[in-house]
Amino acid sequence: MRHKNHLIGDFAGHTYAWASIGLAVAVCLFIIGNVAYLGADIISLEFLTQPPPANTRITTEGGILTPMIGTIILTLLGILIALPISLSTALYLTWYTKKGIIKTIIESSVDVLAGVPTVVIGLFAQAVFTQPWLGFLSTRIHIEGGLGKAFGRSFFVAGIAMAIMILPFITKAIIESIKTTPKEFPEGSFALGATKWRTVTKIVLNSARPGIVTGVVLGMGRIISDTAIVWLALGGSLRMPGAQPWYEPQNWISTLQHTGSTLTTYIFFTSPAGEGSNPILAFGAAFVLIVIIIVLNAAVAAIGLIGANKVQK
Amino acid sequence: MNEEEKNPAIKIENVNIRYGDNRVLNDVSIDVPKNSIYAFIGPSGCGKTTMIRSINRMNDFVAGFKLTGRVLLNGTDIYTDKKPQVLRKKIGMVFQQPNPLPVSIMQNMILPLTEHYRGAISHFRELAEQKLKACALYGEVKDKLDKPAFELSGGQQQRLCIARALMLEPSVILFDEPCSALDPISTHTIEDLLIELKKERTIIIVTHNMEQARRVSDYTAFFYNGVIAEAGQTNKLFFTPETELLEKYITGKFS
Repeated sequence: MRHKNHLIGDFAGHTYAWASIGLAVAVCLFIIGNVAYLGADIISLEFLTQPPPANTRITTEGGILTPMIGTIILTLLGILIALPISLSTALYLTWYTKKGIIKTIIESSVDVLAGVPTVVIGLFAQAVFTQPWLGFLSTRIHIEGGLGKAFGRSFFVAGIAMAIMILPFITKAIIESIKTTPKEFPEGSFALGATKWRTVTKIVLNSARPGIVTGVVLGMGRIISDTAIVWLALGGSLRMPGAQPWYEPQNWISTLQHTGSTLTTYIFFTSPAGEGSNPILAFGAAFVLIVIIIVLNAAVAAIGLIGANKVQK
Repeated sequence: MNEEEKNPAIKIENVNIRYGDNRVLNDVSIDVPKNSIYAFIGPSGCGKTTMIRSINRMNDFVAGFKLTGRVLLNGTDIYTDKKPQVLRKKIGMVFQQPNPLPVSIMQNMILPLTEHYRGAISHFRELAEQKLKACALYGEVKDKLDKPAFELSGGQQQRLCIARALMLEPSVILFDEPCSALDPISTHTIEDLLIELKKERTIIIVTHNMEQARRVSDYTAFFYNGVIAEAGQTNKLFFTPETELLEKYITGKFS
């Protein structure tokens, strides 16, 4: 009798677990499917390769080239700035400092930073990067009388703000991964006379690779989906207003010093829920956004796998 | 006292070790003669692992670790040098859990050399094959030298770790319970290897296995509660123990 009860319990548990998984997957697929259904019509070569018109409120012409590139630039910039800092912070906290006041302060700062709303980080970026001497990161505004100010909105500024936003998430993912490294590896390395630096950079970081990949994926997801920082620190120009043509290498720095947009702000500008009246454009951009997220995640996972295989040889 | 006992390879002089306020070892003095196997035995928590790990300074990273007294390698205090990695080239260590790195067998072998010396990889590979032969492992792995070391059995992994430790030609090798994770046959192979290795090197081994200490060691120190309760030649210690404590321990009355 007992046995039968257990079987029923087992069956119920399995059913519940599968139902939950099914629901989660179904919701995800429904959103992707819905966005694809509503947005796929507008997707064309022209939509992907043309910059949007200056005003999307009245026309459905043009494409999403510059917001799309903007998303990619911001993601790369944010990761490039945040990853080295996160790596060294994680290594310092796990290998180079003992319990004490400094460690506690750094750890709580990381925790607090993780909870700061992105709109606050955007505001902070505005306050700091409008300082005249930081004008090289955006554009300088010259006023009559000579007292200049920096505009404080550019890809550089937004990239730094994004890096600040994702710093705690990458750092924590790497710390957790380092903590789960079996202590036999570093011990074996030390016993063979390797220095701490060599052991940490070769052995510890290698076994922490999955954590680093997780951290980067998490960070990318957050940058791609963020809107508040883009709004405050990148500005609202749907095209690239720097030196033209903006895509030529000699103008890249100028482009990065100027304002721009991402797919999220493009959606905001075109969707009736935001400032626009062209939901078809918003759904098209949303569809591209989802595809970019999937492709980037797959790429980072592949990079992690390639590295792991190399180690195994 | 014979010639070897007068010039010990490792001389431990009045060593006290603390972790913070916790005293782990009190006034330990041991002379480990050259070309001998010295066994550290004693119940869990008696300090023998702390002692062996202090001989190549593996405890330096442990928070609160403090050692007073002297540990001498061929007459030189090992704790005066700021950099422990030079010392660890001269004193190898094999751990309880086999710890090959997650790379191939061959890479595990040549890693210690590429870490410390410049030279042709082909020369390193040759040396590695030589050491694998010395550890009776070459015949078993010669066809899969470039396969991951994790594909080996536990006993093979442990012999790989011993062979890897030999790559730097250490004069002393420390074994921290090297067989406690292995089956009896692998244990036997490693014991034979230890006796072979002591021809050219000095060996210190921590073991919980009384039979093993009796089989392989020339000298034994019995640790109890952070002090050496009894030490001396293994034959004497096991056949005519002076203290009642040791007699009880080797006959398995407590562990």
